[in-house]
Amino acid sequence: MNHAEALVSVRNVSKRFGATQALEDVSVDFEAGRVHGLVGENGAGKSTLCGVVLGAHAPDAGAVWMDGSTLRLDSPAAGADRGLVGVAQELSLLPAMSVVDNIVLGTEEHWGPFVKDRANRRRVAALVAEHGLEVSLDARVGSQSVADQQKVEILRALGRRSRLVVLDEPTARLASHEAVELRGTVRRLAERGVAVVYVSHFLDEVLSVADTVTVMRDGRIVRTGPARLESHASLVEGMTGRQIGEVFPPKPPAPADDAPVVLRVEGLGSAGAGFSDVSLQIRAGEILGLAGLVGAGRSEVAHAVYGAHATAAGSVEVCGHRLSGRVEDALAKGVALIPESRRDQGLMARRPVRDNTTLPHLGRFAGRLGMRTGEEQEAASRACDEVGVRAQSVLAPVAALSGGNQQKVLFARAVLGEPRLLIADEPTRGVDVGSKRAIYEALNRMARSGCAVLLVSSELEEVIGTCHRALVMRRGRLVAEHAGSEMTEERLLADAFGPGNGAGGGRGDPALAEGESP
Amino acid sequence: MMAQALPAVRRYGIAFVTVALFIFLAATTNGFLSQANFRNILDQQSALLIAASFATITMIAGGFDISAASVFVVSPLFALQVENATGDAALALVVGVAVGLVVGVANGLVVTALKVNSFIATLATSFMVFGAGFLISDRSVLRASTDAYPAIARTRWWGITTGAWIAAAVVAVAWVLLSRTRFGRHVYAAGGNAEAARLAGVPVARVKTITFALAGAAAGLAGVVSSSRSLSALPSDDFSFVFGVIAAVVVGGTSIAGGEGAVWRTVAGAFFIALMVNGFNLHQVDPIWQRVIQGAVILAAVSIDSWTQRRPT
Ligand SMILES: Nc1ncnc2c1ncn2[C@@H]1O[C@H](COP(=O)(O)OP(=O)(O)OP(=O)(O)O)[C@@H](O)[C@H]1O
Ligand SMILES: [Mg+2]
Repeated sequence: MNHAEALVSVRNVSKRFGATQALEDVSVDFEAGRVHGLVGENGAGKSTLCGVVLGAHAPDAGAVWMDGSTLRLDSPAAGADRGLVGVAQELSLLPAMSVVDNIVLGTEEHWGPFVKDRANRRRVAALVAEHGLEVSLDARVGSQSVADQQKVEILRALGRRSRLVVLDEPTARLASHEAVELRGTVRRLAERGVAVVYVSHFLDEVLSVADTVTVMRDGRIVRTGPARLESHASLVEGMTGRQIGEVFPPKPPAPADDAPVVLRVEGLGSAGAGFSDVSLQIRAGEILGLAGLVGAGRSEVAHAVYGAHATAAGSVEVCGHRLSGRVEDALAKGVALIPESRRDQGLMARRPVRDNTTLPHLGRFAGRLGMRTGEEQEAASRACDEVGVRAQSVLAPVAALSGGNQQKVLFARAVLGEPRLLIADEPTRGVDVGSKRAIYEALNRMARSGCAVLLVSSELEEVIGTCHRALVMRRGRLVAEHAGSEMTEERLLADAFGPGNGAGGGRGDPALAEGESP
Repeated sequence: MMAQALPAVRRYGIAFVTVALFIFLAATTNGFLSQANFRNILDQQSALLIAASFATITMIAGGFDISAASVFVVSPLFALQVENATGDAALALVVGVAVGLVVGVANGLVVTALKVNSFIATLATSFMVFGAGFLISDRSVLRASTDAYPAIARTRWWGITTGAWIAAAVVAVAWVLLSRTRFGRHVYAAGGNAEAARLAGVPVARVKTITFALAGAAAGLAGVVSSSRSLSALPSDDFSFVFGVIAAVVVGGTSIAGGEGAVWRTVAGAFFIALMVNGFNLHQVDPIWQRVIQGAVILAAVSIDSWTQRRPT
């Protein structure tokens, strides 16, 4: 099955968005039965290239060839008819429908006009069993965690009779053991003769799953070659044109024992959100990690501290002032939140970058004659530069930015507020290696200037590489604390999974650790 | 492709279409290019512009308010009752606006506190308000009893009626409010992504309630201006006013889904429709055919605008 013949050939394709040359003279072959890794910095053009192949974007010049003729797709639906399916970087599910209905949408088994519910359910159950991606079939998609929604999206693509599957950052939202499972799924797909395009910022993941890797930079292809000839360092060099030392900059000094306590949480609990008895404190200048599996309740705690979730018990104090449990109050006391889902909780996609950056801080720019937009714009630009947002202008709509750059806009928003407490929920999701470093540096700068940071992260490396101290959450409770050199992947993992499921056994935890390293 | 080469066309599609229609009418139609005709158009559009500029803001915040018609019909009935009783036109004006404000606040609270879909909520309040109109007027036409009431909209300054001046002022206020203030930003945020807005500290419920309240007050003012122009007001349960308002907003390119739009768009949309009707009348097109053509042209305008505004793919 593994003979390498090009299923889809991209030839000399260029694509321009306004003043941005997203793709320039790109030629690449995607072969049946091969996994083709695609790497590059944020905004390098990876998603645009995928969009051209799938029919979401029409190329300005050049063509895509398939089965000996040029493909002329005017929509992703037309692409799907030809067996080209994609899992978008941003989720596109129908939240009010069940998991099964979402997966079979458009390809329902039917009898005349009637949908055969049981047959559909069986089909999805078989699909789930085949790929080992567990989801609850009858749940409403909207009630599922982001990770589960991601799995639904992947299953939807797998359920089509596809010849080419594009996975655009499929593991950005998955827990590490799920990422490992997905890797198996991807290999199985390729063995069945499907061409897989695999976009990811986790370079080790790409190296381990891909047969061929293409490196992109500024809309051009740097090189395409066998994955076994590449290394983490060579990919980074190709993507950025320079060498990047460590991903993690040196940590700021740990706060002194008598440093003032910025955040004090006592006995916080909420039955609805599924966590209880959470107590923690963070000192000025300290970066505290909150580790655990997806679904352990970390985001819920982050939201509750911020006042965005009602709580039944406990108290939250910032710099000695008790928070009332309202978002406005938290903001006024200097708390900033970077939410987990930039699309659902973070950004107004069609509004300019400027408006998105300054939204919680508009009071600062309010003059007697309306907003002082000049000043506002300047502040937004500065904040965006500080965290490395690459956008044509701060007046461009956020939707025109690449995924990683959208994430950075959220970070810019937080930086602009000069908060005393920053709660960052997966702040580097979808961000490229170089920009990750820029974000960690920004985090460190904030910590040095006395800000307390609560970092929720599913990447253990990130927790270990940036935090002074880490708490581990499991099933709604804090179960362990590690500081300094005691923080190791093995320990954090063992605590995250709990006793009897520890780092020694289970389903291949060593691989798990490997899957985590970016 | 073309839209990509011409970003201005993309952005200002409806403005170009309106200007094109203007040039077309100027070139082909006798009697179009006259001061009297323009004054007339301005005067006739005043009530609609007043209501539509704030309806735009409601729609951007993610609400859909169809109670404007009922307020438009009923607020002048209250105003004229007050005028007949006291002879005080200024007080009548205030009462007319206040009636709209009260209805708008009620709409806002029902939508945000009871979480009723805004279309349904404002449909329900519309019936109640229409009913109140029959009660307050005792089912009869009310007429102005002083000269001051008609003067509200009929006085001429530099040849332009005060009705049109009021409309210009209201449009300017709505425009500035939406594009230059914090409140305006909150409106866009609430309609664009309510959850993200909430997490960014925007008081979403309050913002939405205020947009309904302002739209109600504006519809009340529109009713008073209209009755001042016509010297009388008549109870009815006629929804047609709000269809004109929504047509202007949507033809302008403000998104029914919320989060996007602008007051200038609504002004362009209103004038597009007004110019078209004016052209029909000058060409003496049969009013029955006018409706058919008008519907088709509105569809065409909206399609062109949505095509030009579509994000590049
Ligand atoms: N719809 C659009 N309108 C305008 N510009 C766009 C649009 N989509 C993408 N771009 C621009 O094209 C360039 C390439 O974007 P693309 O999404 O392909 O990057 P990417 O490699 O997928 O990045 P990331 O890793 O952040 O997802 C970026 O500069 C982006 O701002
Ligand atoms: Mg992308």
